[in-house]
Amino acid sequence: MSPTEAALDRVTRIPGVRGVLLVTGSDGLVVAEQLMDGVDGRAAAALTASLVGRLSRAAESAGLRPPAFVHVRGDTGSVLAAPAAVDLVLVAVVGPDANVGLARLEMIEAASRLD
Amino acid sequence: MRALEPWVVDPLQSFLTESSARLTLLMTTSGQVVAQHGFSRSLDVMTAAALGAGIVASTEELARLMGASRFGALVHHGVGQSCLLSAFATPRGRWIGLVVFGPETSVGIVQLFFDQMVQQLMTAAPREQAASPMLAENFESELNASLKALFGR
Amino acid sequence: MSDDIRSLTDRLAAEPSSLAFLELGEALRRRGQLEAAYKVARGGAGRYPGLADAHDLMARILSDQADLAGAFDSWSSALQLDPMRVSALKGIAFLYFRAGDAVAALDHLQRAAEVDPDDPSIVQAIERVRREVITAGPPPEAEASAPSPVPASPTVTSTPPTRSETAFDGVDGGEQGQLLVDSNGLRLGGTLARVDGFDASDRVAAELAGASREAARATRLLGLGGWHSIALECPDGHMVLSSPTADTVLLTVRDHSLPMARVGLLAERAARAARSWLERVG
Repeated sequence: MSPTEAALDRVTRIPGVRGVLLVTGSDGLVVAEQLMDGVDGRAAAALTASLVGRLSRAAESAGLRPPAFVHVRGDTGSVLAAPAAVDLVLVAVVGPDANVGLARLEMIEAASRLD
Repeated sequence: MRALEPWVVDPLQSFLTESSARLTLLMTTSGQVVAQHGFSRSLDVMTAAALGAGIVASTEELARLMGASRFGALVHHGVGQSCLLSAFATPRGRWIGLVVFGPETSVGIVQLFFDQMVQQLMTAAPREQAASPMLAENFESELNASLKALFGR
Repeated sequence: MSDDIRSLTDRLAAEPSSLAFLELGEALRRRGQLEAAYKVARGGAGRYPGLADAHDLMARILSDQADLAGAFDSWSSALQLDPMRVSALKGIAFLYFRAGDAVAALDHLQRAAEVDPDDPSIVQAIERVRREVITAGPPPEAEASAPSPVPASPTVTSTPPTRSETAFDGVDGGEQGQLLVDSNGLRLGGTLARVDGFDASDRVAAELAGASREAARATRLLGLGGWHSIALECPDGHMVLSSPTADTVLLTVRDHSLPMARVGLLAERAARAARSWLERVG
């Protein structure tokens, strides 16, 4: 199993995770994905990469270093993102019942292994 | 943003809003312009349309030689600007979209909303009118009329 | 009327010049009868203008009445009379903290700690204010408005905190590390200073409007409905974005030593305060 597949696999196993993707940060294109039905991978990749980029710029303006983890909470679920080095972002789309704390730990760990 | 046909306006405007594209050109595969945004000179529109149609034709021929199906989209990455070229089917025939965008957006966003625009154009296009055959002696006058409409003159 | 208030009232009525006004004023204040407490304290302070206790009582009442400038003046008067009065030092520190001047607040708390090093409330307050100083840095106007240390002489040159209500009154840290932004990316309230002291408020505010729109688009198109909050964990700080109203975005920034979930709670509290403020001023 490649490091990329291993990274996706770790996160996919967490209850409540609907899909995991590895995307390019600057382009918002999918590098690899494991998705359940109904999750639009292309949209998740493009929209999350764009949002994380914008939030990183806001953090930089505030004098902070780029985020290691981002949690966007919606009405019926969340989008989680863990930027890795080399312009990659690990993205997860999770339901409202997902264990976000566990997902966060696994994503940060997985992202660090991609460096 | 200017369009020759009113049903193109809403899908194109939605695309421009979401994608933050700098320049956008919709045209037929023969290079006839259907709509444009961001261009300031008619000469630039004509040139871009001709070049875009030529690039798509060359690319499709290349795909045919390779035995592959048509390429979905062609992206040229530049330093300050990038360009997406994509041909797509509409009830009015095959069209081409040329989109120029900068670092304020991304190719993923542009592609995502370009595909959404294509779906909306498919839905919005009137079905009842068949395109009239293009005659050479009508072409120049129609082109001039189109350019006037596209630049609001 | 409670028995203690009745008996104190009787004492004061029988002997208007007695110091019973101090106990009576404090008892009324604790019961929330601020108007009555104010009248009692004003009468007593008028009779005993040189009594630090009287000014201290007046300051506490005015603070409860949200007359922060008046409270500041009264505590300053108390310190003129008694420079080592811990309650006045704590009171002024509290007012500075509410006004967002964490540096001045820390200065007064440290002086209070020198006088009474065994007071645990002072130690806790210092720790909390220090965290705010680390997170937000000194506000650019702190140098100009911070009062000089209270000297032994009666003269005090101090600048009272602004009387105008802020969006984050009552929130930990006040306006520091909070940014309330409208849909055009313009700042409505709060300040954000970088560690180097640069006021990043307006620049960050401009970024936030776009972030809010992108977040709304992302959650909508991914079938997650509207967005509630965005939490960013950065190596050197935590940020939480929320939306107090449909047209505003709130950013809460705290030092990374505070757990992320705790920052989230702070942000919720700040959002409620901002919402109430917007309803009042809007």
